[in-house]
Amino acid sequence: MEPASASLTQLKKSAAVRESRVADRSELFDDRFLKTLEHLHMVSRKVFAGNLRAERRTRKVGSGIEFADHRTYARGDDFRYIDWNLYGRLDKLLLRLFEEEEDLHIYILVDVSDSMAIGSPLPKLHYAMQVGAALTYVGLANLDRVAIIPFSDRIIDRLPPSRGKNRIFRVFDFLKKCDLGGKTELAECMKDFVTQNKRRGLAVVISDFYDPQGFEQGINTLRYNKFEPFVLQVYDKREAEPNLHGDLALVDCETGDTREVTVSKSLLEQYTKAHEAYCQELEAYCTKYAMPFFRTHTSIPFDELVLKIFRSGGFLR
Amino acid sequence: MSFLGPLPFGIFIYIALGAAALAVGAYIIKMRRRRFEVPFSHLWKRVLEQKDANALWKQLKRLISLLLILLILAIVLFAALDPTLGAVDRKARSVVVLFDASASMKAMDGNEAGSKSRLDAAKERTKALVDSMGGGDVAMIMKVDGQATPMSRFSSDGPVLNKVIDGIAASDTPADLTRALGAAADALRDRPNPLIVIVSDGAFPEAQLGLVSWDEKKPLAPQPAPDGKTSNAANWEKKDLAAVDLSKIDVRYLPVGRRSDNVGIVAFNVRRYIANKAAYEVYIEVQNFGQEPAHRQLALYNGDTAVDIKKIDIAPGQRIKQIYPKLPGSLDNKLRASLRPVEGAGGSDSFALDDQAFALLPARKKQKVLMVTTDNLFLEGAILVYDNIDPAKVSPAEYDAKPSLADGMDVVIFDEHTPAVLPPSPTSLLFFHPTGENSPFAIRGELANPRITEIDEGHPVMRWVTMSDIYMDKSGTFAPDPKKGESTIAYSVRDSIIAAKRDGRRKILAFGFSLPAAGRESATDLPMRVAFPMLLVNTLDWFAGDQTDLLTTYPTGSRERVPLDGVVGATEAEVKGPDGTITKTPIIDGRATFYGSRVGYYDVTAKDGKGTPIAQIELAANLASPAESDIAPSTELSLAGKKLEAPEAFAITRSKKLWIYLILFAMALIVMEWVTYHRRITV
Repeated sequence: MEPASASLTQLKKSAAVRESRVADRSELFDDRFLKTLEHLHMVSRKVFAGNLRAERRTRKVGSGIEFADHRTYARGDDFRYIDWNLYGRLDKLLLRLFEEEEDLHIYILVDVSDSMAIGSPLPKLHYAMQVGAALTYVGLANLDRVAIIPFSDRIIDRLPPSRGKNRIFRVFDFLKKCDLGGKTELAECMKDFVTQNKRRGLAVVISDFYDPQGFEQGINTLRYNKFEPFVLQVYDKREAEPNLHGDLALVDCETGDTREVTVSKSLLEQYTKAHEAYCQELEAYCTKYAMPFFRTHTSIPFDELVLKIFRSGGFLR
Repeated sequence: MSFLGPLPFGIFIYIALGAAALAVGAYIIKMRRRRFEVPFSHLWKRVLEQKDANALWKQLKRLISLLLILLILAIVLFAALDPTLGAVDRKARSVVVLFDASASMKAMDGNEAGSKSRLDAAKERTKALVDSMGGGDVAMIMKVDGQATPMSRFSSDGPVLNKVIDGIAASDTPADLTRALGAAADALRDRPNPLIVIVSDGAFPEAQLGLVSWDEKKPLAPQPAPDGKTSNAANWEKKDLAAVDLSKIDVRYLPVGRRSDNVGIVAFNVRRYIANKAAYEVYIEVQNFGQEPAHRQLALYNGDTAVDIKKIDIAPGQRIKQIYPKLPGSLDNKLRASLRPVEGAGGSDSFALDDQAFALLPARKKQKVLMVTTDNLFLEGAILVYDNIDPAKVSPAEYDAKPSLADGMDVVIFDEHTPAVLPPSPTSLLFFHPTGENSPFAIRGELANPRITEIDEGHPVMRWVTMSDIYMDKSGTFAPDPKKGESTIAYSVRDSIIAAKRDGRRKILAFGFSLPAAGRESATDLPMRVAFPMLLVNTLDWFAGDQTDLLTTYPTGSRERVPLDGVVGATEAEVKGPDGTITKTPIIDGRATFYGSRVGYYDVTAKDGKGTPIAQIELAANLASPAESDIAPSTELSLAGKKLEAPEAFAITRSKKLWIYLILFAMALIVMEWVTYHRRITV
């Protein structure tokens, strides 16, 4: 496929139309949306009753109050943590270790590339933002520290981690105003993300994963850096089963690459299969490495998806 | 197989190459495609990479599509060459069919039963002729009657030509073969393989059959010899000028007709007696053109009244002349002669057109004449001889006192009196010795003892009149102005003694001398001469427009110039035919051109600019053509001694036009291509 310079003007024109569609985000988080979030929060509390609030233990040994283990004393350790009772019985200097309790960091990574602007009647981007906002709300309500990071071919912006339900409106503002557009370059963005965020946590990646370079490297970057990837693939039904016919010039909305195709029924069938195969490839990859994976299309209401996420576990513990 | 395309082959090749280049170009030029945005073209790339494994087949399909279009193009172009399957054993010919539609073709002998006319039979034969034309032959149908009328252009379209043939109707005129051959030869000039086919019964006058030249014409004008003394004018005959040049043209004859028995009226005319215009005589000629004795009833009608009915027996070839003298006048001036069939052998024939003939008695009008004179016995006596006038008399003093006395008069005669006020037009005026400024003609002077040395014999007033030895002791002389239409009809050497002119719708005649009367000094012996009453009669006839020798009966098919009395300013006249149709005819020098295509009565009317009739004349037209009445078909025809062969070259050649099948095949391919394209088979 070669870039079609002749189609540049056309591409710019259609990009402008597309951007104008997704740029209008004023109605994205209305009162109805808020009510839905509250409902989700209530459901999450009911489903996971008994769990402690803000008690997400990490494996980090620190200054908590709950005993975790012993270890041999080493020079420089705090004498206060030496277990003198054991020294009396065993004549060995052992240090008492405690589990450190800390707030979980949840990073909501939202793909805002050009490909996310496609979709009908709701662009994928809007859907992704709604899902992201819903998860953020639940996280904030659970007193987790939630950060929102839109990305495309770079980390476009960052809403620093915050805690508490009342922060949700900042989240809305941020999502409404953040910049959009660009190609999907998952690997580069994840590399930047792990560099910028030292606190490990849950990395919820909401994207269509339409990266010509592949999704593996980006997800692996998260895994290798001790983040817990949580993969949410959003697609539009018309992407999976396009209603095309005849002689067409297919233009990639991100790269502008043009390919002349005569779309026949058999070709459409092949494409549908190829799309399904790509999605299953992503799912298989996530399953292989025990990463939560959800695939949804924009026709499914976002709250249904969130509930499904709750029920499957992994997000709420 | 032969190709009869309209274009030279070289040009056709260029067109074919150009069209093929356009078709290939259309395939090379990429189609402008509808643009569609996709979020992840990488997936399409994957799919298309798999599909590209079939790229060869895809290319092949595109190539097949191109080849299909080229094939369709080739078929269409091939069809344009008009390929014809079957042998064309001769060169394409240009044919003019001279279709005889003259009167004799109305003979009802097209079949044995007599239910079809000769014309119908000729149509069938001509259509068979057209149907047998080869693919390259082109034909023109020309109708031949008194005129030669092309009914079509040169065409190879059989159905169109057949339709033209079906539309031909026979006229009532003799055929003018010379004119038709001339028109056909002109039409065939410079055309390849010219051929004239005459479809006729051969009823042409002998004179026409000789007016043909088979050799190239001699120079049309005498060329002066180099020595300047002699020329080749002697070699140049008048006949050569009229002869139709048929050199290099093949002329064929297709005869039609079966029967020859016919009895017809070949001449019919009527005239009034000069001395007694109330009476008239009729002349009829009837001829038997058959081979057997014939019997008929000959009837003469005046209007609807039978004047005479008699049975006539005519031997084969015999011509009977019938004169009906001294028939009394009647109100109706229309005469009709009719041949009625009688029972028994030889009692009827198959050609009815010449069984009736029509004639008209010249119109006769009673004129009101006012004589402005003191008692003049010579004048009054002569006027009273004329029976068709209504005379009145006033004295000059009475007239001058009351000029309106002349109102409503057709003619006013001023005897030795020149009034200051002339009667209004259209009253015609006759002057004897006009004088002074009020003279209708300018007075030049007076001659003593003049002798009439010259008269205008062509003028109606001077018809049958001799004035060479008339005595006059003196006479005024006129100075007629030709620009005003004034002319001299009697001279004394060079002096005008009698002058005449048309003044609008009226006529004026003036004698320069006086008639003898009591108390007059001048004297002439004209009133004692036979010429005097004749002069007065002629003058009154001229005033009335009554021309004794005016012909009102003409043969059909001939173009005549008919005088319309008193027509000034009109350039066109209306001719109402026997069937009620009205046509226009030009008027030149007071004469209307008349062409009768049907037998019967015609009405010629000249109108002024406002549409008011200013002159009108009735005419009759008859076939009156022994050549046409002689319906015996000629199985052979010779032109200038050369016998014409039957058009045997028109043997039917079976050939099949392929273009329609090729176009249908091309359309089928286009449909197939369309279906396979839209069913995504060929894309």
